[in-house]
Amino acid sequence: MRIIGILAGTVAAALAAGPALAHDPASHAVTRIEGPADDYVYQLAPPGSYALPRIKPAAVLGLLDESGAPVDLKAVFAGRLTLLSFMYTRCGDACPLAALRLADLQRLASEEPALAQRVQIVSLSFDPDYDTPTVMAEYGEMMRLPDVAAPRWLFLTAPDSESLAPLLAAYDQPVARAAADSVSGPFSHLLRAFLIDAKGDIRNIYSADFLDPRLLLNDLKTLSMEGS
Amino acid sequence: MLAAAPALADETCQSPYMAKITGEEEYVYIWTLGMEGLGDGSDKLVTVDVRTGSPTFGQVIDVDSVGGRNEAHHGGLTDDRRLYWVSGLDSNRIFLFDIAGDPANPKLVKTIDDFEEKSGGVVGPHGAYALPGRVLISGLSNSADKTGRSALVEYTNDGAYIATHWMPTKENPQGAANAEKADGYSYDARVLPRRNVMLSSSFTGWSNYMRPLGDVVKDPEAMKAFGNTMVLWDFHARQPRQVFEVPGTPLEVRWAWGPNNNYAFTSTALTSQIWLVYEDENQKWHAEAVADIGDPATLPLPVDISLSADDSTLFVNSFLDGMTRVFDVTDPHHPKQIYDKKIASQVNMVSQSWDGKRLYYTSSLLANWDKTGDDNEQFLKAYFWDGKELKPRFEIDFIAAGLGRPHLMRFGSAALYN
Repeated sequence: MRIIGILAGTVAAALAAGPALAHDPASHAVTRIEGPADDYVYQLAPPGSYALPRIKPAAVLGLLDESGAPVDLKAVFAGRLTLLSFMYTRCGDACPLAALRLADLQRLASEEPALAQRVQIVSLSFDPDYDTPTVMAEYGEMMRLPDVAAPRWLFLTAPDSESLAPLLAAYDQPVARAAADSVSGPFSHLLRAFLIDAKGDIRNIYSADFLDPRLLLNDLKTLSMEGS
Repeated sequence: MLAAAPALADETCQSPYMAKITGEEEYVYIWTLGMEGLGDGSDKLVTVDVRTGSPTFGQVIDVDSVGGRNEAHHGGLTDDRRLYWVSGLDSNRIFLFDIAGDPANPKLVKTIDDFEEKSGGVVGPHGAYALPGRVLISGLSNSADKTGRSALVEYTNDGAYIATHWMPTKENPQGAANAEKADGYSYDARVLPRRNVMLSSSFTGWSNYMRPLGDVVKDPEAMKAFGNTMVLWDFHARQPRQVFEVPGTPLEVRWAWGPNNNYAFTSTALTSQIWLVYEDENQKWHAEAVADIGDPATLPLPVDISLSADDSTLFVNSFLDGMTRVFDVTDPHHPKQIYDKKIASQVNMVSQSWDGKRLYYTSSLLANWDKTGDDNEQFLKAYFWDGKELKPRFEIDFIAAGLGRPHLMRFGSAALYN
């Protein structure tokens, strides 16, 4: 049992209260959608038919991979199309919701082998004191598809909170201590995810509202078409 | 600051991407147009303490002058509510205030001086609308002909230019349906994420909004240069999908909040109507006039509107008669007026707390459109709303205080940044 079974209970309440995960993939052809509140049931522009302007360079830092080995974000980004998401494993709210959507993205992208080889998902913890490489490795094992054709999904952390702070500031990723009685975990944060091109430039920024796997896939395809 | 956090009390009518205040608002930040001969005469950000029980409740506790007059008008908060962007319709300057470091004492941290150059000729930076990690500026005009033809301009939260999205026109429809009716004008732009749509409205250009209103009204050619359209966009692609004919200058866009309520309201300044833009059961979008505001024949000049968080009540201000009218919009196709009150000789903006219990009104429209003499009342007035009537809470006379012409309001709270 992987991601869906493990996290379904955790996010069920959030899903019930908030937007659904994805829209109908056939919505280009079928415009009629049943029900007045089919959240995220909308038409998407085809890949390559719209622009994704350069927003700013993606900040980089020396981090730790799941084995505890040093890894440089600059090298991670180079030559690949990246979906970077900040998260922490103790989160009981937005992060598991985002993880579900990224798992869907990994599955969707795995169906297109050429694209899958160029794409990667990077989940980066902003709670390195708890999220050690070992914890991230365990979390990653729950999330990832074992399929070798799937895009790679890295789970990174930092040596400590102090060294991570400049990176969080550069990505405009505010993180604050939550109230002591918070049921959603020890931190409160805006959910942010970033589309980063092969040159290391940010090309889109997503909140929970637009973390739709099919939309993400279209954006990745749009970037991949720039180089073709 | 979770995006999905419950919003127990916050101003309505804000970007859905913005962090929410989870308690009563503590401060109201008022972007105020300088008035010649009054105080330092400069535009300024005025901070008012609205904390119930505070020793300085209802008082101005901070004033940050930007030096000079820029035709201060609108602005907005970033999605993380750390920066308050406010702009000048005449100077094209945009001022970024940090309200997170000390919410009681905003600090100017950046001034954007090259908006016109970077945007490719957009002038009149207007609202600042929070997108994820970005800010969307709706322009009111352009440097080439100073008409209302304009664009939407994107910046990063910290003020780096990203892109310009010109409004569709008859000559450049950009794929929009009904583009033969497009006037290319711009005013407000707001997003309904779950439908991937953005709705924009239209006003008039620099050549009209910097001219005395009395002169404009008497000039038939000038009166032709007002917007008569709204545009529905594919938000993700930033591409216009459909142009609606909405005669009489549709201004503020207010999306409903309810998960089943796929519609927005606007009011038309020159034809004095409430319009509804809605999606039908076949996912087609329509615009229709659904109510008059006062007597349109008397030109009340509707300006700001505020929709309650439960989508039941719409507050509608009109500038020339100084009235606020409250409509029951439970049936959005058939609004019914349930209350009215004369706020003053003139009134423009209205902001409402998320629980609908507290409302704030300011007075100024534009330097050359505000009334003169004794009718030039300039104020912040705060009220309680009990569902039936407005009861005074406090007020500040911005002329007696030497401040100027108060315009856009945004709420703040120290609780956001703990």
